[in-house]
Amino acid sequence: MADTASAGSGTRSGSKHASTPADNYYLARRRTLQVVVSSLLTEAGFESAEKAAVETLTEMLQSYISEIGRSAKSYCEHTARTQPTLSDIVVTLVEMGFNVETLPAYAKRSQRMVITAPPVTNQPVTPKALTAGQNKPHPPHIPGHFPEFPDPHTYIKTPTYREPVSDYQVLREKAASQRRDVERALTRFMAKTGETQSLFKDDVSTFPLIAARPFTVPYLTALLPSELEMQQMEETDSSEQDDQTDTENLPLHMSTDDSGPEKENASVLQQNTSLSGSRNGEENVIDNPYLRPVKKPKIRRKK
Amino acid sequence: MNRKKGDKGFESPRPYKLTHQVVCINNINFQRKSVVGYVELTIFPTVANLNRIKLNSKQCRIYRVRVNDLEAAFIYNDPTLEVCHHESKQRNLNYFSNAYAAAVSAVDPDAGNGELCIKVPSELWKHVDELKVLKVHINFSLDQPKGGLHFVVPNMEGSMAERGAHVFSCGYQNSTRFWFPCVDSHSELCTWKLEYTVDAAMVAVSNGDLVETVYTHDMRKKTFHYMLTIPTAASNISLAIGPFEILVDPYMHEVTHFCLPQLLPLLKHTTSYLHEVFEFYEEILTCRYPYSCFKTVFIDEAYVEVAAYASMSIFSTNLLHSAMIIDETPLTRRCLAQALAQQFFGCFISRMSWSDEWVLKGISGYIYGLWMKKTFGVNEYRHWIKQELDQIVAYELKTGGVLLHPIFGGGKEKDNPASHLHFSIKHPHTLSWEYYTMFQCKAHLVMRLIENRISMEFMLQVFNKLLSLASTASSQKFQSHMWSQMLVSTSGFLKSISNVSGKDIQPLIKQWVDQSGVVKFYGSFAFNRKRNVLELEIKQDYTSPGTQKYVGPLKVTVQELDGSFNHTLQIEENSLKHDIPCHSKSRRNKKKKIPLMNGEEVDMDLSAMDADSPLLWIRIDPDMSVLRKVEFEQSDFMWQYQLRYERDVVAQEEAILALEKFPTPASRLALTDILEQEQCFYRVRMLACFCLAKIANSMVSTWTGPPAMKSLFTRMFCCKTCPNIVKTNNFMNFQSYFLQKTMPVAMALLRDVHNLCPKEVLMFILDLIKYNDNRKNKFSDNYYRAELIDALANSVTPAVSVNNEVRTLDNLNPDVRLILEEITRFLNMEKLLPSYRHTITVSCLKAIRVLQKNGHVPSDPALFKSYAEYGHFIDVRIAALEAVVDYTKVDRSYEELQWLLTMVQNDPVPYIRHKILDMLTKNPPFTKNMESPLCNEALVDQLWKLMNSGTSHDWRLRCGAVDLYFTLFGLSRPSCLPLPELGLVLNLKEKKAVLNPTIIPESVANNQEPVNSTNNHGQSVGFQNTFSNSQEEEEIDMDTVHDSQAFIYHHLNMLERPSTPGKEQSSGEMNMHPVSAAPLSVFSKESNSSKHSDHHHHHHHEHKKKKKKHKHKHKHKHKHDSKEKEKDPFAFSNSPASARSIRSPSLSD
Repeated sequence: MADTASAGSGTRSGSKHASTPADNYYLARRRTLQVVVSSLLTEAGFESAEKAAVETLTEMLQSYISEIGRSAKSYCEHTARTQPTLSDIVVTLVEMGFNVETLPAYAKRSQRMVITAPPVTNQPVTPKALTAGQNKPHPPHIPGHFPEFPDPHTYIKTPTYREPVSDYQVLREKAASQRRDVERALTRFMAKTGETQSLFKDDVSTFPLIAARPFTVPYLTALLPSELEMQQMEETDSSEQDDQTDTENLPLHMSTDDSGPEKENASVLQQNTSLSGSRNGEENVIDNPYLRPVKKPKIRRKK
Repeated sequence: MNRKKGDKGFESPRPYKLTHQVVCINNINFQRKSVVGYVELTIFPTVANLNRIKLNSKQCRIYRVRVNDLEAAFIYNDPTLEVCHHESKQRNLNYFSNAYAAAVSAVDPDAGNGELCIKVPSELWKHVDELKVLKVHINFSLDQPKGGLHFVVPNMEGSMAERGAHVFSCGYQNSTRFWFPCVDSHSELCTWKLEYTVDAAMVAVSNGDLVETVYTHDMRKKTFHYMLTIPTAASNISLAIGPFEILVDPYMHEVTHFCLPQLLPLLKHTTSYLHEVFEFYEEILTCRYPYSCFKTVFIDEAYVEVAAYASMSIFSTNLLHSAMIIDETPLTRRCLAQALAQQFFGCFISRMSWSDEWVLKGISGYIYGLWMKKTFGVNEYRHWIKQELDQIVAYELKTGGVLLHPIFGGGKEKDNPASHLHFSIKHPHTLSWEYYTMFQCKAHLVMRLIENRISMEFMLQVFNKLLSLASTASSQKFQSHMWSQMLVSTSGFLKSISNVSGKDIQPLIKQWVDQSGVVKFYGSFAFNRKRNVLELEIKQDYTSPGTQKYVGPLKVTVQELDGSFNHTLQIEENSLKHDIPCHSKSRRNKKKKIPLMNGEEVDMDLSAMDADSPLLWIRIDPDMSVLRKVEFEQSDFMWQYQLRYERDVVAQEEAILALEKFPTPASRLALTDILEQEQCFYRVRMLACFCLAKIANSMVSTWTGPPAMKSLFTRMFCCKTCPNIVKTNNFMNFQSYFLQKTMPVAMALLRDVHNLCPKEVLMFILDLIKYNDNRKNKFSDNYYRAELIDALANSVTPAVSVNNEVRTLDNLNPDVRLILEEITRFLNMEKLLPSYRHTITVSCLKAIRVLQKNGHVPSDPALFKSYAEYGHFIDVRIAALEAVVDYTKVDRSYEELQWLLTMVQNDPVPYIRHKILDMLTKNPPFTKNMESPLCNEALVDQLWKLMNSGTSHDWRLRCGAVDLYFTLFGLSRPSCLPLPELGLVLNLKEKKAVLNPTIIPESVANNQEPVNSTNNHGQSVGFQNTFSNSQEEEEIDMDTVHDSQAFIYHHLNMLERPSTPGKEQSSGEMNMHPVSAAPLSVFSKESNSSKHSDHHHHHHHEHKKKKKKHKHKHKHKHKHDSKEKEKDPFAFSNSPASARSIRSPSLSD
């Protein structure tokens, strides 16, 4: 047991160096062989063995097994097969001067030690190739057994994502400072390129105010919503559905919510129209003097 | 005249009845701002010897007058052009006000007068004697009108329609005479035919039904034909022409809305509500809207926000708004509702005389109030009533009273019911604008008092009765004598009330309508434990100006432990103390709930109470059924209970104001609780914010915890996870929106022990600005951002200045630097993404002025002056002008004052001109008792000229100038002037001559005060008093003098005779002398006579010079004058508009 322990320590030290999966596999095999050698030695009556001796014996065992494998493969290939059969092994053993008949007896000997199966090391997973997006399925005219399409990024595009910032505070902070920076840069630019006014006579650059410029029609800019606001309105209109519940809860103290009464009236109108068809006709033709066509002048009688 | 009807009927002051008038404007030139047209009046003489017809006309150039197709001579005389004569050296306001009232009287249509006097051709005299119809046809033109019609012509490329050029009628009270000759009275009703020929791309909107629109022969113009079959006064005729976009109301097809190009989406949204107002009024009045159609027109550069005319209303375009705007929506709806209320009372129903104006204003204001109650709720309504009440009370106490129904007996100065005022209240045109606003306010409050007395049901029945009488009368097409039923008078209205309700409201009318002044109560109480009686003491102050004594019932509400109890006390002459027995005998039962007035039962923590008294709180006149101010004393815990548990918003607001005086932790708690209570009315919560700030400042040394309201704001509006960041805006809940806007503004008023705004608060506000995010909001946040800037401005405290160092960037306070950074960014962003109504620019300008005033930034008006120029949005201009006015005051800048006064004379926008005077009056550069380098003779002359002749085209502006003159110099001669040369002054009403009161002190031996102080004395006591004091010594008994009659006569003429056209006149802006250009037969006569009058004036001037030398020889001189006058053909004999005929009220005698 002591040598197994020492052998174990050896592999441990080796594992430190090993880094690739192939090395790992090799080391695991070596360790199993060492256990085999050690158990055979125990069976033969040794109490302890030098490490170097065990190593040598392991090396020999390994060479022997390797040779069996190599020869068996040669025999099987010689008969034009890919998978070795039992007969290939037997021939190999015979060729190597091993008496095959003794093997069943040896296997059934009473004092043999059972070696636990080596721990199944997982097949080292080959790291996935960079997958981005979903592979396209085959179009119907390509048979299913054909290889799959490669990842789209290899031949279409490579989308890149940054990890989204999920912290609300940071987000707001960022949005605020971003907007502020844009605004400041923009207004400074405008101030630099145009006429300015200043609050300080000695300094015109620190707080530059874009000069006031009279409009020809001042009420238009003042009353019409700016483009930004229009855009926002469209955006919020789509999300209005969600807010609907809020409106219902609203104590309609100031009935600024115009949609309410309008809807009511609209429904009233609908009822009316459904009640009387004639009303519908009136609705279509609004008689308002300002909508009537302008009359042609009467022809002067003088001429 | 119809005498049979007795006192109920209407007696026309005119010797004829107008039945129909045609107004035809066949050319409007936007480039030259001119109008050409004619009017034709159909009149029926009511007296046999009618030989002169007086009409009103101002500014118009009259080319030709024909009566029944015969050329008629006419004369045009407008004494209001120049109130006091050019050469007069008089500079005291008393003199001016009297002269101005006389001048307005001389052309007052309600007295049968007018500027235009037409002589009926002698060929028609026989015709007239048979009382047959006369058709008066007048051709006129109007060139660059300065009032009445306002042209807006943007200076840009394109046709007039593309530029959005438009024109509209405007003015204060009856101002129709400014744009066509008419009988400019509210009491002369007739039917109308109106025709306007305009560019084909334009629309002409006017009163009545649009009958047809016809192209002219060249197809480049079209003519709009309107018919107004409901008899209407000329004062209710209006016009708006422009390239309007037309919107037929989707709910009521007979209603049409008009707005300027590009604003249609806003118009749609703004007017989408109007049909509900219609429904409301028609329902409560149980009367259909009287006209067959209604038009709303939204125009730029409006004279007033809302102007109501027969079947149409003209609004300021700035009332339009999109669905994203919260704050403007209720304001605009209010304007719409006001305009509609005036359609019923004011347009359809007109008034008999000026002294009946209060009925119309009262009723329209009252039904508008009912609409408010229904639309915005009882809380808003009560809040509004309280606000109006506070306003009128403050105004009356300041100026000495507003009289709703002035009665003028005999026209003597002594009987003048408003001698405390610096203007006459005889005419609407002599009235200060502020007075008129307050007049309207009082009128509707008094209507509410009447309602309290007779119940709303009866009230509405009275209105219905007035309306149905009027609509019956209006349908009598050919019985024009019936039309007077459409005029309301005070007596008719009161009769109607007593018929309908059977109640006598005479005492109420006497108190509030026939008498000016409000009541001032002082209340205090003691609880008598032994008798279990509340001893209430109510005192009145009825000696201060603007107050009156109240006798009658007064309601007192006492909240006791056992419930709320109403008591009606009789306020009598000498009883001050009132014993009110208390109901709650037992000591409180801890478990018991306390019943409130509205039946609700609540748990209260009664530990704060006085253990011996069952009184929780007491309210005097809780229903505001007296026009009063109450100062009531009760202990702080009672106010706190009142704030927490009284459900009336008015009581809550009163309690908040009272708590300002009790800075204790208990008050703090009560206010904070109210702030947090969502059921509480939002205005109360807003008010509580400011009170809390004040209390926190008083408690600064003992205040614990974070700055007031900060944690509350954080809890309500900031993110749960990161409390320093405000949530993204969501203004769906308006109550919290208003609170969110107000809290930072109130917080910025907090001060620490060094009287500085705490750094924490400033950083908090800056963070609100920084993290403000409106991307997900359905509404615009422009008002919110503007208020955040206001909050920044509120946080500014005076700079610590070391020996007056110059303000530069280097010594700028770091906090101020942060503030300035924000203001700069906001102001600059406005140029790129302007906010609605530029609210943010307005707030920035105000904030900059605050920084200047506090010495952080060098004081400089240049920035404001650039924003005040024409071409900026009106709100921005006014904010900038306000800053300039303030600068003028603080820096005593003569240059800026001149700049402002120049703008008053030259600015194209009438509202701006009016507003500058108004702001100067409210924030005057100096006042009459103040030494100021600005106060000099040139300024006096300039202002005098402004009100004397420079503002004759706009009544409101002239009255504004009078107000300013009064604020700066007072009633008597300005102290900065040298002593007058003229030793004698006339008291016109008494027909006596006295020494000029300003020089009395010098000559009076027993009055040894120095000159300056006597001037002040004269001002405070008033001209009248000075006069009567000095009467004995100084009066010259003219009765004994042989020539006294002539003397007085002459001076009366000087005063009352209109400034004749063609007289010498140097002032450039007064170049409208229509008659002098009249190309007709009168012309030659007239020009002759004007030469004469020139001559006359010249002479007179020379005499004055002589007067200086021989003060005591005037007897002789006046004899001479009168002789000369007899020779003067213009003054007496030949001219049809002689001074004599103007003074007599009627031509028929």
